Amino acid sequence: MLLGACAGPETRHLREQTQAVELAAVPFHPQDEYQCGPAALATLLGADGLAVSPDELVPEIYVPARQGSLQAEIVAAVRRRGRVPYVLAPHIEAALTELHDGRPVLLLQNLGTRALPVWHYAVIVGFDPQTQTFVLRSGRERRQALSARRLLESWDRAGRWMLVTASPGEPPASAQAGPWLRAASAFESLGAFEPAAAAYRAATRRWPDAAMAWTALGNVLAQQADWPQAYDAYEQALANGDDGPLLRNNRAWVLAQMGCRDAAMDEIDTGLRAATPAQRATLGDTREQIRALQSEAVCPR
Amino acid sequence: MDGFRGVMVVVVAVALGLSTIAAPASAAIVGTEQMLSQNTARQDVDTFLARAEVQKQLQAWGVDAADAQRRVATLTPDELQMLNAQIDELPAGAGALEVIGVVFLVLLILELVGVTNVFSAI
Repeated sequence: MLLGACAGPETRHLREQTQAVELAAVPFHPQDEYQCGPAALATLLGADGLAVSPDELVPEIYVPARQGSLQAEIVAAVRRRGRVPYVLAPHIEAALTELHDGRPVLLLQNLGTRALPVWHYAVIVGFDPQTQTFVLRSGRERRQALSARRLLESWDRAGRWMLVTASPGEPPASAQAGPWLRAASAFESLGAFEPAAAAYRAATRRWPDAAMAWTALGNVLAQQADWPQAYDAYEQALANGDDGPLLRNNRAWVLAQMGCRDAAMDEIDTGLRAATPAQRATLGDTREQIRALQSEAVCPR
Repeated sequence: MDGFRGVMVVVVAVALGLSTIAAPASAAIVGTEQMLSQNTARQDVDTFLARAEVQKQLQAWGVDAADAQRRVATLTPDELQMLNAQIDELPAGAGALEVIGVVFLVLLILELVGVTNVFSAI
């Protein structure tokens, strides 16, 4: 069958499972009318210790004329509550890893067809390998048992989108460095430096060899004017092999703020030599700002 | 009313004060989101315009004006660009409680032959 073909490796993975899992304590909020987004999100947040009613979420994520909720707005609503919204890798394996680690998984389903989509949000709370059945909090059903085949098809037709929430200090079990840093970087962009720094620090502990984790930590510290600690983080990023022009740019600015104008100028020129045309403007601006600073002599090297 | 104005003056003054203190310190720092993004040449003005567009679209779709403003304020530059570019095509999860007319019939047939599961989800 055509649709089943997309889910081949996923089906095989589910058949290899031996252990059943069900997070029975996950709360249930039956949905009203079209409001499966608020209901599913309230369920997910409740399981993460945040008691929120679907009604409270309606003004945050419901779009009346579309009779639904947008993924990006669900992501933003999670962030507003200080949790990291982590979009899982598009493999069902990731969902099972999270379930076994105690995290329910919000997913987008297309219950219709590709041409006639019927979008729906639900929360996976369990899987039984014996019967090849998932357990969901969905719509008005507290415990919907859905065959693996149907779940995989509806999930595949909706772009394989799954979301979990995590405290900034605790990346989910299936998380990978790049996507975790990207999710956390939204806090930084919005000026919420505390959760961003906590998430980056957690990344440096979980993936100490990932240069980007150290670069990100340096970035958020630099934006809080914590120059010596930012410098240390950038040193670790360099040691781990990040020598991109944008890191050079930021490191140069930190050096300049520490009073090392000469070292900063060397650093920015190193960056400029490797910069793409798009990056040259950014580095050029920084160079001008550094050149205008007064120089003093206390430097780290 | 005067009390409210007083509060607003303080809020605005504090906001301006904070931004003038914070701005020089991080002026040259390229943020992590931008580093990870494909679009490294992104301008602040693009983000500003995208935010206005997305807010306008949400309001046109029936979201309260004040809510729409709060909602777009917590979307990142990347998210705003993405939404602004594709908001019409993006899925909006709705739930399957009501499906009407022709769509209903087509889906019912697909359901009966086992392709979809709209109705079992209700």
